[in-house]
Amino acid sequence: MAMDQVSVAHDDHEHDHKPGFFTRWFLSTNHKDIGTLYLIFALCAGIVGYTLSGLIRWELAEPGIGPLTGLMEYFGYSGDQAVEHAKHFYNVVITYHGLIMIFFMVMPALIGGFGNWFVPLMIGAPDMAFPRMNNISFWLTAAAFVMACISMLLPGTGDFLGFGGGWVLYPPLSSATGHPGPSMDLLILSLHTAGIASILGAINFIVTILNMRAPGMTLHKMPLFAWSVLVTAVLLLLALPVLAGALTMLLTDRNFGSQFFDPSGGGDPIMFQHLFWFFGHPEVYIMILPAFGIISHIVSTFSKKPVFGYLGMAYAMVSIGAIGFIVWAHHMYTVGMPSDMKAYFVAATMVIAVPTGIKIFSWIATMWGGSIDFEVPMVWAIGFIFLFTVGGVTGVVLANAGIDHVLHDTYYVVAHFHYVLSLGAVFGLFAAWYYWFEKMFGIKYNKTIGYAHFWTMFIGSNLLFFPQHFLGLNGMPRRYIDYADGFATWHFWSSMGYAVTLVATTIFFVGVIEALVRRRKGVANPWGEGATTLEWTLSSPPPFHQFNELPEVKPESHH
Amino acid sequence: MAHDEVKHDYHLVNPSPWPLLGSMGMIVLALGAVTFMKGLFGMPAGTWWLLALGLASIIYVMFGWWREVIKEGGAGDHTPVVEIGLRYGMILFIASEVMFFVAWFWSFFEFAIFHGARVGESFDVASPLYSEALQAVGGQWPPEGVTVFDPFHLPLMNTLILLLSGTTITASHHALQHDNRRTAISMLAITIVLGLCFTGLQAVEYMEAGFSYSGTIYGSAFFMATGFHGAHVVIGTIFLTVCLVRLLSGGMSAKKHLGFEFAAWYWHFVDIVWLFLFAFVYVIPYLVLGH
Amino acid sequence: MRFLIALLSILPFGALAEAAQPEAGGLGLQPAATRIMERLHGFHAYLLVIITVITLFVLALIIWVCVRYNKRSNPVPRKFSHNTLIEIVWTVVPVLILVAIAGPSFSNLFYQENEPDLEVISSGNGDDPNIYPAAAEKGWVTFKAQGNQWNWTYSFPDQLDGSGYPVEFVSNGLQHGLAKDVTDLSTGPRNLAVDYPLVLPVNRYVRYQTAASDVIHSFAMPAFGIKTDAVPGRLNEGWFLVEEEGTYYGQCSELCGKDHAYMPIEVRVVSQEVFDTWIERLKAGEFEAAFDGLDDTATATTAEPMDAPTRLAQAQ
Ligand code: HEA
Ligand code: HEA
Ligand code: CUA
Ligand SMILES: [Cu+2]
Repeated sequence: MAMDQVSVAHDDHEHDHKPGFFTRWFLSTNHKDIGTLYLIFALCAGIVGYTLSGLIRWELAEPGIGPLTGLMEYFGYSGDQAVEHAKHFYNVVITYHGLIMIFFMVMPALIGGFGNWFVPLMIGAPDMAFPRMNNISFWLTAAAFVMACISMLLPGTGDFLGFGGGWVLYPPLSSATGHPGPSMDLLILSLHTAGIASILGAINFIVTILNMRAPGMTLHKMPLFAWSVLVTAVLLLLALPVLAGALTMLLTDRNFGSQFFDPSGGGDPIMFQHLFWFFGHPEVYIMILPAFGIISHIVSTFSKKPVFGYLGMAYAMVSIGAIGFIVWAHHMYTVGMPSDMKAYFVAATMVIAVPTGIKIFSWIATMWGGSIDFEVPMVWAIGFIFLFTVGGVTGVVLANAGIDHVLHDTYYVVAHFHYVLSLGAVFGLFAAWYYWFEKMFGIKYNKTIGYAHFWTMFIGSNLLFFPQHFLGLNGMPRRYIDYADGFATWHFWSSMGYAVTLVATTIFFVGVIEALVRRRKGVANPWGEGATTLEWTLSSPPPFHQFNELPEVKPESHH
Repeated sequence: MAHDEVKHDYHLVNPSPWPLLGSMGMIVLALGAVTFMKGLFGMPAGTWWLLALGLASIIYVMFGWWREVIKEGGAGDHTPVVEIGLRYGMILFIASEVMFFVAWFWSFFEFAIFHGARVGESFDVASPLYSEALQAVGGQWPPEGVTVFDPFHLPLMNTLILLLSGTTITASHHALQHDNRRTAISMLAITIVLGLCFTGLQAVEYMEAGFSYSGTIYGSAFFMATGFHGAHVVIGTIFLTVCLVRLLSGGMSAKKHLGFEFAAWYWHFVDIVWLFLFAFVYVIPYLVLGH
Repeated sequence: MRFLIALLSILPFGALAEAAQPEAGGLGLQPAATRIMERLHGFHAYLLVIITVITLFVLALIIWVCVRYNKRSNPVPRKFSHNTLIEIVWTVVPVLILVAIAGPSFSNLFYQENEPDLEVISSGNGDDPNIYPAAAEKGWVTFKAQGNQWNWTYSFPDQLDGSGYPVEFVSNGLQHGLAKDVTDLSTGPRNLAVDYPLVLPVNRYVRYQTAASDVIHSFAMPAFGIKTDAVPGRLNEGWFLVEEEGTYYGQCSELCGKDHAYMPIEVRVVSQEVFDTWIERLKAGEFEAAFDGLDDTATATTAEPMDAPTRLAQAQ
C-alpha cells in the first residue's frame, strides 16, 4: 500500500494549535469540541423540554382547564375559543415534551456528548474514526431540533398549531385524517433528519471502537462505557432505519396517496405501531445503556474496587440489546392481538429483567467490600441504582398483558417510564456530568451545590412521579388535559414535586455558573486510585489532540 | 502543551465547512419539501424552487465533501488502518440500508400474509366497518382488480440484467487488481450500461402497471419497495459512474481503490435486494396466489 | 418508601362495589365489578408484594454497603471482582421469580382473552367462581362501541328496530371544559358522566366489539378490567360479565385529538327486566322515554338537548 506517502501526510496539520473561534466551534473535527457542542445543545433542548413539562404539571395541578386557557387568552383567543386551543395545545405540549426529551436531550447528552468525549479517551484513540462525519451528526441533530421547533408553530389541524398526537405518532391521528396540516410533515422530516444524524453517529462509534482501541486493549479489556456505547450504536444502526421506513410511509400516505395505514385502501393503522415499536423499544434501551456504562465507572471509581463481574456486565448489556429487539409489541397489548402472541411478548419481555438484575446486583457487589467515597457523582449513581430498580419492576408489572389491560395508557405507565428515564437516564446524565465536569472543562465545581442539587432533585422527582403510580392504578388515563375530581389529590402532589425540581434545576445552573465564574483550576485526576481508565492519565482539560503517541495497554492490567 | 509529534496512523481531519453547510441545506430541503407538498410561508403547494434549492445544496455538499475525501486519499491520509475503518463504515452503512428495506418487506408481508388472518373467521366479517379494509382489497391478496406483473417477462429480464451486472463488476474489480485498467474500464462501463438498462426497463414496467401507487395498498407496498430499490440502483449507477470517471482520469490504482470496492459492494447489495424482491414480491404471489 | 408501605397496607382486596369511579386520594385499583377484574386484583396484589420485596431488598443492600463499606468504616478496599456462586444465584433466582409470575399471568390472560364457550359452561359447576352456568344458558348480549371524535356510538347488532337496523345511539360526555358545560353534578361526576349511558343487564355474558370511524380510540372500563382499542378498519372483541348492578365509569384511553379527555364512558348495569324495557323502547324508537325510564337521578340532558330523531339520524 502507499506507505511511502504516509510520512508526509500529516505535515499540514497543526496539532495542539487551536483554530479560531468560528472554525473551532462551527467547522469542528475534534471529538472533544463536538462533545461539548452536544452537551450545550442538550442543555438548551433540556430547558425547552423541561419548560414544556412545567406547562403540563401547571395545567394538571388542579382539575379543570386553567393555565393553558390563560396562555391562549394571552395569545389573543377568548372564551371557548381559548379553551379549544388550550386543549389542542396541551396535546402539542406533551408530544413535543416527549420527543424533545428523548431525541434532543437524553440521546445527544449521553451518546453525543459523553460518548464523543469519553469513548476515544477511554480506548486510547486520538479522535473518532470519522471526525468530519462526527460534526455533521451534531449539526443535523441541531437542524432537526430547529425543524421540530418550527413545526410546533405551523398549522396542525384546522387553525390549531402544532402536532398533538403523542410522541408515538400513531396514524390516523398523524395522517391526513387527524392532522392534515404541514406541521406533521415537517415533524416527520425533522425525525428523519435526527435519525440520519444518529445512524451516522452510530457508524462512527462502532468503527471507532472496533478499529481504534489502543494497542493491547482487547474488547474484553475495554472499559464498560465503551461497551455500552458500542451496544447502543448497534441498536441505533438497526432500529432507526425501520423508523425511517415507517415515517416515510406516513409521509407518502399523507401526501402522495399511498394507503399503508389507511383501511379504506386496505391498509392497517396497526402496522405503523409494529414498525414504530420495533424501533421504539430498542430506543428505550438506547437511552439507558450509556447510563449503565457510566454508572459502572462511577461505582468502581468511588468504591476503589474493580467492577464486579466485568464480563457479565458487558454481556448483560449485549443481551439486553439483543432481547430488546424481540419484545416490541408489549406496547400494543390492547390493539387486538391474538392471545398467543400476547403470551409470547409477555414471556420475552420479562426475560429482560434477568440481565438487568445482573447489572443491579453487580453494581452493589462492586461496592461490597469497597471503601466508598460519597463524592457527588457517587450519590447520583447510588440514586440511579435504586430509582432505576423502582422503574424497572413496574416495567415487569406492565409486561404482564393481563394487568396491562388495566394499566395501559394510564399514569402507571407514565410513572414507570419517568422512573427509568427521568430518574434513570437523567440521573445517569447528572452523575456523568459531575464525574467528568472537571476533566472536560478543567475547573472544579462546588461540591456543596452538587449535593444540594442531588437531594432536591431526589426528593422533587420522587414526589413528582411516585404518586403517578396511584393515579394510574386508580384509572387516570394518559394525555388528559383535565380529569375527574377523584384524581385531584395526587395530581396536586405531583405538581408540587415539579416545583421542587424547579428548585433543583435552579441549583444545578447556579452550580455551573459558580464554577465558570470562580474558575478553580482542576487537576488531572481528582478521584484518586479508584479512577483507572485512560482519561484520567491526561491533563484536565485534555490537550486539543491527545494520544499522539498511542498508550499501550499491558496484558495484565485490568479494566 | 507540548507539540509532540504524531506517532499514529489515524487520520485527523482538518476543520471542514461541509457538515455545517449540509445541515443548513437539510433545513432548506425539509422546508422546501413541506412547501412543495402543503404550501408554506404564503407560497402555494406545488412551489418547487425551495425544494430544488435544498436538493441542489445537498448535492453540492456531497460533491465537495467527497471530492475532499478523494483528495485526502490521494495525499496518503488513508493509511491501512484508516482503510480498515472506512471498510467497516461502509459495511455498517449497508447494514443500516438493509434494515431500511426490512420496513418495506415488512409492510408487504404484513398485507400479503396477515391479510388472510384479518379476513379472519373469528370476527364479524359482515360488519360494515370491519369489512371496509377488506372490501378495498376484495378480501384477497393481491387485491381484486389488481393484475400483477407476470414475473417471467420484464422482471425476469431485469433479474438477469442485474445478475449479469454483478459478474461484470466483479470482473472489472478483478482486472483492476491486476492493474489491467483497460478491461477494468470496459467492464465497469458495461456494468453501468446494464444498470441503466435495468432502470429503463423498470420505468417501462412502471408505465405498464395495471395498478397505481395511490390506488390500493398493493400498489403502495409494491411501488414503495421496488421504487426504493430503483432509487438505490440509480444511486449505485452514479457511484459506479464516479468510479469510471476516476479510472478514466487515471485515479485509483491496483492497490488503492476503496471507492471502487465500496461501489461494488453497494452494487451487490442492490443486486441481492432485488433477488428478494423478485422472489417475494413478483414470483411467489404470482405462482402461489395465482393472480 | 413511605409510599410503598402505605400502598401495601391498603391492598385493594375490596369486595364488589356498586359504582366505580376514581376515589379521592385512592392508592390502588378501582373496585372490581367482574371476575376478570377480581382476578387482576389478586394478581396485582401478588405482583405488588414481589416487586416491593425486590425493591426493598435492593434498597437494603444499598444501605448496607453504604454503612458497612464507606471509607471510614472500611478504609482499605478489598480487590475481588468475581464470585461465580453469587453470580449464578442472582441469575437463577430472578428466573424463578419470573416463572412464578408467568404462571398466574398466563392463566389470567387466557381467562380474559379466550371467549368462553357458553354451551360448555352452562353444564359446568356452579361453585367455580370463574364461570356462570346460569348466565351461560341465556346466551350472549352483544354490543358494539364505535369511537368517534369525540363521542361513542353504541349499537346492539342483535337488536333490530322496526326498519331492520340495529339499535344504535350516540353517547356524549357532559363536560368539555367549556363555559356552556353542564355543571350540575347531581347528574354524575364531572368529566365522567354522559348524556345517554350504555345500558347492560347484570349477570349476563356480554360480548363487546370496538371499532372507530376516524382515529384510534380505546374503550376502557377499569372496574371491568377491560381496555380494547377501537381501531379504524378493525373490529376488536372481548367479553365480560358484571355481577353487580350500578353505574360504572370509564374513559377513552387512546389519544384521539383535542377532546380526548372528554369522551367518557358510562355504563349502567341494570336488572334484566329494566334492560328489556329499555331496549324494547329503543327498538320502538321511543328514545327519550327509554332513558327516562331508567332511574332518572343518574340521567341527564345536555345543555342543548338534541331530539331523538336527529340523534339517531346522526348515528346512522
Ligand atoms: C429508559 C427507558 C426504559 C427502560 C429501561 C424500560 C424498561 C422496561 N420496560 Fe418500559 N417503557 C419506557 C421506557 C423504558 N422502559 C417508555 C418510554 C415507555 C412508554 C412509551 C409510551 O407509550 O409512550 C415504556 C412502556 C413500557 C411498557 C408498555 C406499557 C403500556 O403502554 O401499556 C411495558 C410493558 O411491558 C414496559 C416494560 C418494561 C420492562 C419489562 C423493562 C425492563 O427492562 C426493566 C428491567 C429492570 C428491572 C426488572 C429492575 C432491576 C432488576 C432486578 C433488581 C432483578 C430482579 C427483578 C425481577 C425478578 C423482576 N415498558
Ligand atoms: C427522557 C425523557 C423524559 C424526561 C427527562 C421527562 C421529564 C419530565 N416529564 Fe415527561 N414524558 C416523556 C419523557 C420524559 N419526560 C415522554 C416520552 C412522555 C410521553 C409523551 C406522550 O404522551 O406522547 C412524557 C410525558 C409526561 C407526562 C404525561 C403527560 C400526559 O400523558 O398527559 C408528564 C406529566 O406529568 C410528564 C412530566 C415530566 C416532568 C415534570 C419532567 C421533568 O421535569 C422531571 C425533571 C427533569 C429534569 C429536571 C431534567 C432536566 C434536564 C436538563 C435541564 C438537561 C441537563 C443536560 C445536561 C446536563 C447536558 N411527562
Ligand atoms: Cu377517543 Cu381518546
Ligand atoms: Cu418497551
